[in-house]
Amino acid sequence: MFEVRFHGRGGQGAVMAAQTLAEAAVIEGNYAVAFPFFGAERRGAPVLAFTRIDAKKIYSKTQVYAPDCVVVLDDSLLDTIDVVAGLKPDGMVVINSKEKPQDIDLGKEIKTAAVDATSVALEILKAPITNTAILGAFAKAAGLIRIESLEEAIKRRFGEKLGEKVGERNAMAARTAYEKTVIGKSKGIKKLESRKQWLPAYQELPVGGALFEGKTEAGLIGPGSFIENKVSGWATFRPLRDKEKCTMCLLCWFYCPEGTIVRISDRGDLMTNYDYCKGCGICANECPVDAIKMVRARV
Amino acid sequence: MKLKDLPDDNLFTAGHTACPGCGAAMSIRNAIRILGKDTVVYVPASCAVVFGTTFPYGAWKVPFFHTAFENTGACLTGMKAAFEKKGKNVTAVGFAGDGGTYDIGLQSMSGAAERNDDILYICLDNEAYMNTGIQRSGGTPFGAWTTTTPVGKEVQGNRRFKKNLADIVIAHEIPYYATLSIGHPMDFIRKVEKAMTIKGFRFLHMFTPCIPGWKMDPAKTVEVTKLAVESGMWTLYEVENGEKKITYKPGKMRRVRDYLMMQGRFRHMSEEDIKKLQMWVCRKWNLHYGEKGAPEVCEIAPPEEHHAVTEEHREMHGP
Amino acid sequence: MKKVITGDHAVAIGAKLSRADVVPAYPITPQTLIIEHIADFVNDGEMDAKFLTMESEHSVMSAAAAASAAGARVFTATSSQGLAFMYEMLYATAPLRLPVVMVNANRTLTAPPGIWCEYNDSMGVRDSGWLQVYVEDNQEALDMVIQSYRIAEDKRVLLPVMPCIDGFVLTHTVEPVEVPQQQDVDSFLPPYTPDIILDPERPAMIGTLMPAEYIMEMRRQTADAFESAKKVIQEVNDEFAKKLGRNYGGMIDTYRMEDAEAALITIGTVTSTSREVVDDLRKAGKKVGIVKLRFFRPFPSEELRKVLSGVSAVGVFDRSISYHGGGPAYNEVRSTLYGLMIPVINHLAGIGGRDVTKEQIVKMFDLTLKAAKGEKVKEIYWHNTRGETV
Repeated sequence: MFEVRFHGRGGQGAVMAAQTLAEAAVIEGNYAVAFPFFGAERRGAPVLAFTRIDAKKIYSKTQVYAPDCVVVLDDSLLDTIDVVAGLKPDGMVVINSKEKPQDIDLGKEIKTAAVDATSVALEILKAPITNTAILGAFAKAAGLIRIESLEEAIKRRFGEKLGEKVGERNAMAARTAYEKTVIGKSKGIKKLESRKQWLPAYQELPVGGALFEGKTEAGLIGPGSFIENKVSGWATFRPLRDKEKCTMCLLCWFYCPEGTIVRISDRGDLMTNYDYCKGCGICANECPVDAIKMVRARV
Repeated sequence: MKLKDLPDDNLFTAGHTACPGCGAAMSIRNAIRILGKDTVVYVPASCAVVFGTTFPYGAWKVPFFHTAFENTGACLTGMKAAFEKKGKNVTAVGFAGDGGTYDIGLQSMSGAAERNDDILYICLDNEAYMNTGIQRSGGTPFGAWTTTTPVGKEVQGNRRFKKNLADIVIAHEIPYYATLSIGHPMDFIRKVEKAMTIKGFRFLHMFTPCIPGWKMDPAKTVEVTKLAVESGMWTLYEVENGEKKITYKPGKMRRVRDYLMMQGRFRHMSEEDIKKLQMWVCRKWNLHYGEKGAPEVCEIAPPEEHHAVTEEHREMHGP
Repeated sequence: MKKVITGDHAVAIGAKLSRADVVPAYPITPQTLIIEHIADFVNDGEMDAKFLTMESEHSVMSAAAAASAAGARVFTATSSQGLAFMYEMLYATAPLRLPVVMVNANRTLTAPPGIWCEYNDSMGVRDSGWLQVYVEDNQEALDMVIQSYRIAEDKRVLLPVMPCIDGFVLTHTVEPVEVPQQQDVDSFLPPYTPDIILDPERPAMIGTLMPAEYIMEMRRQTADAFESAKKVIQEVNDEFAKKLGRNYGGMIDTYRMEDAEAALITIGTVTSTSREVVDDLRKAGKKVGIVKLRFFRPFPSEELRKVLSGVSAVGVFDRSISYHGGGPAYNEVRSTLYGLMIPVINHLAGIGGRDVTKEQIVKMFDLTLKAAKGEKVKEIYWHNTRGETV
């Protein structure tokens, strides 16, 4: 049995990628299942999906804990998530990154296939939806599924849902990424520390799950504690404001859905806290004097 | 309150998990900072429960309560009664979606409105069940794609026009009803402030674009809202003790087509359907502003009616 | 002061004496008299409560939960369809640990439509997280409203309580009821002082979305509160007996069980009739007794095992059917007595409001005695049911 774990963000199509991989495996005569981790996903939030492939029927209905391969659709996830957790020692990572495998620090030296799937997607699909491109990289790296089967699966699944043209374009994205994938070994320097989680025993859980503002070893909890949740990784773009042009009309400060543009009242100025900027671009779109432009969040 | 006088307090903090460009998050964040600290919030089942609270985290810095989907009116009634009994001066505010208001929560909202309970009901109208993944609600506009009004070979998109919720709410003879747009900040601020000062059942109807549900660029949330108003798809007005007042009238009526083409949910619409929707908007324009819409927009030939009553039908059932 | 009043009236007085702050209400037969009496109390200035005329039972329980979360002592009442309509909100109230007290006037749950006594309404929500207590007369109905608040609001419990009273048999029957003095109730039942409420002075979040990492612990915590409730119920019963002079036994009550060979487990008003039947049978030399199942949630497993360990057979009365064959009480009792090797037989009767006569109860005892003597009997009997042989 071959088990794959996909790490992505809501909207990048991790679930669709897992399903498409399963379909490609079935096209080749295998049995395969794909399933999401049913979280409360919004666009941009980290999500998980899984694919299991075997020659015979798969009965296991649990999540995947020791994958043979981890697919990372968005390398910004590396900042907050230990993507190699549980990965088998002879396993591999397929990652969307501008960098070469040997320059990617996964906290573990491990077989790694890298491709700049975001650029491929932006070029071919005109949107940063990297799921089909990354599957191309998977086909190259894992040697488990032929690229032709994958193209077929993509055409079927995407074509059925979004029309033939979209299916073909996505198959092209996979093929392009397949050609561009570089295989090597990752760096293992950084100490991996997954985010601490407050996991009280039932006796310690507040009665009825009702929470006041509070602090635990894992950080703040209760009202207002979402500030613990840094969402900068969600952003593909981020705003740059030209102070000279800015008239302090405050529209961006009003419109920002995140509240990440703040007034520095003593200096009569604005500041953007990128920790909470999801890069929606409303501020740039609405600025009456074009003082804000959106730039790629990670170069 | 002027824009610059808005408090800096984030009573709905950053780090919440709404999608980038979320119109609901934008509306909640601004409404709650105008309403201030002495507020208790009820949120029925919706995106706002999910992106605003995920145990043990929460974005709300005012008390938050949630139980179910269809009971915003009743829960606000209950909590307000408790506050009144204890002699506490607290604003009870509900943030319900269009599904939670137009559809499943209509009865509960109506009960609270009819009793004129002293509560503030805010409807975040994004025109479909977005939390469950974009299904049609009574608030879904004509022609719109949703997963339950798909663009099929036989039938394309929603075949009914958006339910006239405003008149249903106003018919309860409540002290205050107003429509709001996040694209019109001064109007938005003034109406939230006004709703605060009035006693009894107040209803703020907020137009809140949904990026994945409307299939659009997240940067365009405000732009599309403005265009909704300019085209007449959304009208900014208020009804205070039965007196209706238009609070903003577009200088020039924009074509509904311009509004539709910004959003993937409408892009499949046939010329015939766009005409139908345009005529509906023109009628609405006439009703609201007491004048005909722009001639170049509204003086169009009515679309051919494919589903018209047939001769055979007339013979059988009369005209 | 003694008053000759209906069960509904007694319940309403219980709510008034308990100083409920908020009463959301919606009418349904045979509960209606309760909310009518409370409306009278409020409009006459005898009761300082917010009386809310809601537009449905779902909204009643929504308002009740929200008012409770905002720190109010909440009372309401319902029946049958109304309880079913609240189903979702019953499940919301309990795990959020909101100590609402709601009387359910037991009535058959449609279909077929009927307005008379059956337990298929309250038994259907036995795992919603509400404590349930079934009473046998109007006095107990009044007293249990007061006791319910003490149990519900105890920090070791913090769960909603549902006193269940037989529709019509109690709700619309007058009998003498001793109405306690307000000061006596006040000394027994202190004001409600919750730790966490919706209050802008100290914001809390109640009812947040909860990932799988926490829900298991939430359930475990609620299950724990049910365990604690058993102890609290006994304490409250004993203190009530001391302060107000009436002792109901706590989780269960027994009658003439000292040397009983056959016991009948009863619920609600059938207990009352059975007391007379037992007296008659005892006169005839038959060693029979009653165990009155007062609380159904939490279920009095330890108490039953103790009191039934000496009997040779147990009959269980059920006023509703659980479609595995017998009734819910039968199912629970049999499970409780597992390993004791005592035959347990089920007596289904009174469904749909059919009168449970003394003759039927005598039959129940006879069959249970047969089983006690080791004679062969059926497991489940449908009493007074055409086409069935008993």
